[in-house]
Amino acid sequence: MVDLKKSYVVGDVTVHALRGVDLEIAKGTFLAVVGASGSGKSTFMNITGLLDRPTTGRYLLEGEDVSGFDRDRRAQLRNRKIGFVFQNFNLLPRTSAIENVELPMLYSSDSPPAAQRHAKAQGLLDIVGLGKRAHHTPSQLSGGQQQRVAIARALVNDPEILLADEPTGNLDTRTSVEIMEVLQRLNREKGITIILITHEHDIAEYAHREVTFRDGRVVSDRRVEKRRDAAQERAALPEEEAVT
Amino acid sequence: MKIRNVLRIAFVAIRRNAVRSALTMLGVIIGVASVIAMISLGSGARASIDEQIQQQGTNVIYVSSGSFGRGPGVARGGAGSTTTLTLDDAQIIQRDVPTVSRMSPMVRGRAQVVAGNQNWNTSVEGGDEDYIVIRNWPLASGEDFSARDVLVAEKVALLGQTVAKTLFPDSDPIGQIIRVKNLPFRVVGVLVPKGQNQWGQDQDDLIIAPYTTVQKKLLGITYIQQVVLSATSSDNVEPAAVDITRLMRQRHKIADPNDDDFTVRTVAEMAATRTQMADTMTMLLMSVASVSLLVGGIGIMNIMLVSVTERTREIGLRMAVGARTRDILRQFLAEAISLSIVGGAIGVVLGLTVSRLLTSGLGWPTLITPSSILVAFAFAGAVGIFFGFYPARKAAELDPIEALRYE
Repeated sequence: MVDLKKSYVVGDVTVHALRGVDLEIAKGTFLAVVGASGSGKSTFMNITGLLDRPTTGRYLLEGEDVSGFDRDRRAQLRNRKIGFVFQNFNLLPRTSAIENVELPMLYSSDSPPAAQRHAKAQGLLDIVGLGKRAHHTPSQLSGGQQQRVAIARALVNDPEILLADEPTGNLDTRTSVEIMEVLQRLNREKGITIILITHEHDIAEYAHREVTFRDGRVVSDRRVEKRRDAAQERAALPEEEAVT
Repeated sequence: MKIRNVLRIAFVAIRRNAVRSALTMLGVIIGVASVIAMISLGSGARASIDEQIQQQGTNVIYVSSGSFGRGPGVARGGAGSTTTLTLDDAQIIQRDVPTVSRMSPMVRGRAQVVAGNQNWNTSVEGGDEDYIVIRNWPLASGEDFSARDVLVAEKVALLGQTVAKTLFPDSDPIGQIIRVKNLPFRVVGVLVPKGQNQWGQDQDDLIIAPYTTVQKKLLGITYIQQVVLSATSSDNVEPAAVDITRLMRQRHKIADPNDDDFTVRTVAEMAATRTQMADTMTMLLMSVASVSLLVGGIGIMNIMLVSVTERTREIGLRMAVGARTRDILRQFLAEAISLSIVGGAIGVVLGLTVSRLLTSGLGWPTLITPSSILVAFAFAGAVGIFFGFYPARKAAELDPIEALRYE
């Protein structure tokens, strides 16, 4: 079980990005975090993703208090347990898709040999539907394809949590649906906890649970009633172009 | 992170910016190449000096008339300028200094030498039958003049290669007659070639005759200009020189060394002076070369700093996926060191080529020693570490959140 519980105040004297947040996220949840910019959702994501530490309060990850971990211990923990997907993809330029996917494995304490890394990365590219484009560089891929490479990269060390920060922010509707389909499938089939940060309510409806932030506090925490199914939606969309 | 992965990441980054990396390396390449070329030039000069010492014989001591000593208010003419050195001095040195094995008086002048329709102005050196033995100068053909020739001031001569070839381009000079200042001399031997000395002077442009003959028949003097001696062994050169100096001061009644009317020099001492000059020159050239290596290092630092700024997002991403502070530090350090090591390797090859060209093209002696290559290489590596550290630390200390947000 992933048992996350946080209550903290972050920021210096003037800025209180988070003014006391208590949340528990069960393993296997697909959680959407929504809020306007400045609501504290990015700070929340940084702390959840172990990029930052709470000023006060505790962060229990799988029952272990990690809020006191130093930079390097957090880096190792990120490497093992957390996958990141960013709005702007953040792929290494002029580097092939497969090398991008392999990147987190290079920083693992038990980095596997090259052949094993290739196999693993290739397998993940197959899962996200880019198996045939493993040797394309980011500039040769569309936005949706780049994001799928990023998802494959996030998964390569079998993380517990996938943190997606506005993953569809730079994508058109159709591609967004495709990305959400990949995320839903990963959540369903692999049981990966997904934390999706977004400011669009309709994107949040692909999740199980929606948490709304405002002024550094959680103002609403609700189950998504009519959950959207990206696979169905995509099937319903007119077949205009084959993206893969 | 494994070292292999660090290197892999560094090489991928270098390859991604191939042109820029090549230009960055150029600084180190030129630096290392010039260091190598300068060291090889210096070692070459040293080696050729050493070789000449071997040629001259390491045991040789010269006692010359005149002095380079600097007394207050006294005008000094330098070696060879006074007439106070005599044959008696020479003989007593040989008799009283036990560490001296051979001795030859020496006089020198210039003369016009004629043979058939050829003529040549050359240096005439006078010594006794041991002169060429002390100077470690074998004969190519013929034989040395004898003690009797010296005693009776016989008009016989040994020719240096240059003189032999000039006067007798087509025939064997042995037994032929040459005219020195219009006096007939019989050629009894031809010396082996010695080539140029350190100053580019042709050592083979001379004739050697008995000193008695040169004194009486060519120069019209009774004093001698130099005594050439050999010590019993190279270890005895310094004690012999000390003894000779003491003996000479005693004989010439000199109390103050500044008043010396003679100069004692050993080949080792002369060589040391020249070696020192060559070393100074090498140091000078090397420091200039090192400056270019330093500039190359600054080039690396500059590019690494630009690269860190440019790749801020990449650094943020690497941190997000689990790179620790030291992983980033190592990566950028590895990039800087790889640039300087690869640059160093190319520089070594270039330096070797340049020094080979210096020898084949300009005829300058060069000597490549493995240690010089090692030194230049290590120097390049050190430059990489030194100038790579600051940018690498800057990269490693970035805040991942800021870095990811960097535009």
